[in-house]
This record gives sequence, C-alpha cells and structure tokens, in this order.
Amino acid sequence: MKPQWRWFLAGAGAALLLLLLAAIFMAYQMPELLLDWSNLSYCG
Amino acid sequence: MTLPRTAWRTPLLILIAGCVILTLSMGVRHTAGLFLQPMTMDHGWSRETFSFAIAIQNLVWGLASPFAGAIADRHGAGRTVLGAAVLYVLGLVLMAQASTPLAFDLSAGVLIGLGLSGTTFAVIMGVIGRHTTPERRSLALGIASAGGSFGQFAVLPIGQALINAYGWQSALLLLACGVGLIAPLAYAMADGHKPAASGGQSVGQALREAGTQKSFHYLFWGFFVCGFQTAFIMLHLPSFLVDGGLSANVGMTAVALIGLFNIFGSFLFGWAGGRGSKKDLLVVIYAARAVAILIFMMLPLTTVTAWGFAAVMGILWLGTVPLTNGLVAQIFGLRYMSMLTGIVFLGHQLGSFLGAWLGGRIFDQTGSYGLAWTISIVLSLLAALCSWPINEKPLLRPAGA
Repeated sequence: MKPQWRWFLAGAGAALLLLLLAAIFMAYQMPELLLDWSNLSYCG
Repeated sequence: MTLPRTAWRTPLLILIAGCVILTLSMGVRHTAGLFLQPMTMDHGWSRETFSFAIAIQNLVWGLASPFAGAIADRHGAGRTVLGAAVLYVLGLVLMAQASTPLAFDLSAGVLIGLGLSGTTFAVIMGVIGRHTTPERRSLALGIASAGGSFGQFAVLPIGQALINAYGWQSALLLLACGVGLIAPLAYAMADGHKPAASGGQSVGQALREAGTQKSFHYLFWGFFVCGFQTAFIMLHLPSFLVDGGLSANVGMTAVALIGLFNIFGSFLFGWAGGRGSKKDLLVVIYAARAVAILIFMMLPLTTVTAWGFAAVMGILWLGTVPLTNGLVAQIFGLRYMSMLTGIVFLGHQLGSFLGAWLGGRIFDQTGSYGLAWTISIVLSLLAALCSWPINEKPLLRPAGA
C-alpha cells in the first residue's frame, strides 16, 4: 500500500473512532440511563 | 515449503482478537447495575439481594483469576477462553431465568465471575505478551487495556438501550449472544504456549519464586490500591457530587468522562511503558492520583472541578494495567505470566471489594465521604512508595532450575 493511502486510511479511522466516542459520550446523556444511575452505584 | 498451521495467528490478529474479547467481556459485565431496578421490581427482591450477587461475582472473578491463568499457562489460553466464554454465556442465560436469590447468586455471581476470570486481563494479556517483542509488549498491552476500557465505556448505553427496547430478560439474552462471539475468537488465542521460556520451571517453583520476590508483593499491593480507588470513585463519586449540590446529570457526565479518558490513558501509559521505566510510571500514576484527589478536596466543588477531576482520574484509571502486567512479564518471564498476573489481579479485586464497601460504610457512620477520600490519598502515596523499589530487571535463574 502506498504511504499516502496508509496515512489517509489511518486518519479516516482515527476520525471515525473519535466520532464513535463522541456519539457514545452523548448517549450517556440519555434520561433513561440517568434514571438508572442509582442502580450502577449499587453494583459498580 | 509449507507454512505451519498457526501462521495466520499473527501478533496483530491476536491483538485485535484480544481487544474484542476484552471489549465484550468487560463491557457486558459493566452493565450489571442496569438490571438492578427491573429485576428487583419483577422478583420482589431487595437491593441487597442483587448487590450481594454482584459482590460474589467480583470476588469469584478475583479468586478464580490465578487458576484461570494457571490453566491457560498449562493447557493453552484458547481452551481457557472458550470454556470461560461458555460459563459466561450460561451465567447470563440463567441470570435471565433466575427466580430465587440462590439461583441468582449462582448465575450472576459464580458463573459470570468464573467466565470473567478466563476472558479478561490475566489470560488475554498473557497471550498478547507472549506474541509481542519486549520493545512492543507494553504498547500492545496498553492497546488491549484500552480495548477493555472502551468496552466499559461503550456497552453501558447499549445495554440500557436494549433494556428499553426489549425488556431486561431479552436484553440479557442478547448480551449473552454478544459474549458468545468470544467463542470463535478464542481460536485466535490458542497460541500453543511456549514452555521454552520457563527454564524448566514448574508451577509450584514459579509460585515459590514469586512469593520470595519483594517486587511481586509490591505489585500486588499497588494493584490493591488501584482497585480500592477505582471502585470507591466509580461507585461513590456521583453521590458525592449530588451531596455537594450538583445535579445527577453532572455525576453521570463525570462517569462518562472517566470512561472516555480511561481509553486514552490506558493507551498512553502502555505506549510510555515501552519507552521508559514501567515502575517509575506506576509511581507517577499513584502519586498523581493522590495529588489529584487532594486538589479536588481543596477546591470548591463546581461542575468544572468535578469534570476536571473526572478527566484526570480517567487518564490515570487503568494505565496501571499494562504497566503492572508488563512488569510481571519483564521480571518473571512469559511462561507463567497469566497465572502471576491473575494473582496480582486478585489484589485488585480485593481492593475493589474493600473500596466499594468501605466507602458506603464510612458514609453511613460519619455522614460524609471525607475519611474515605483521606484513606484514598494515603493509600495512593503508599502505593507510590511501594512501586518505587520494584526491581525491573529480569530474574536470573540457574540453568535447569
């Protein structure tokens, strides 16, 4: 694989990973998840 | 010339498979708390009944880890991961069917605890450690640790979404299907362990040798402190924030920040461990935790300080895993790495149990978490002091020993 393609794919992969992490982070703001916080604090 | 049958098991493939296994096993385990409310309401159980089974799970996980590691070292990690995955799936399926506290203790507590012991750090890190060069080992362990951290962070919202969409029983069965994916991945972990590196050492000799080494004891107690702090903070930080006048949403975001920064921290310290002294980095992590908690206690409690503390602790969260496991491999060699890291992990779980329980106990007795935070700072400093004299040099064994 040509180096420029390798860099492009690595960059695209990193960007997708960051988007995924951001989406998961936003999912933590779900009200349902928030309501169940008391459950987590019992069980770790 | 024909290639050996295992030629397809490249270090990269083993690393990817190990990351996915850790993501699944650590992630699904992390959703346990989500089932407390629906299960206790449906069965009419108390919260204590539920949390007792999860406490059993944590203890069984820790106690079984050295044995899972020893089985992996002796009979191969692939078989161990496969067997543990079956127990894990069985535990989740029976947990969905459990109608009595005893059945729940045996499924959610014992079976899932046993499943976790064979599908998490002790066994997986051993395989990855054996298939990477010493220069790249710490980075590889860091990537694997980041995989486990990613699972903890990512699977929790998925678990909640499944419960909302299909109900808790179906959600458990779907999570069991997810854990079932570990079974085919176990094939990549069947590494045909390499006894050549053992110097002919038996399990008993390896245990006696580790027991006589101060460095092993330092690693054990350092990991004990790590478990104490992570369990205490994860369980009690949100309550602490709400008690301090902040909203529950701030607490939830703090937990999300710990999970997010933990992924980067695990990778960062794994990478750094391959370039510098691992024990010095452990000293840095434990000392930085003490400083972070101290500053957090001294500053006024606001949303910014809470989130800042969560981000810093997230960076320092599981960075200890690649460093501690890497040191075990570096000092004692690879032959019994899974068993020895399993023993050190037992220290982590004992610390977790104490941190979770003592935090609540102290709050009930004194009406605040002040004493628990102070204990956490003192333990952190002791762990830093314990890590300082660790001798990182590989043990020299007489030929044939």
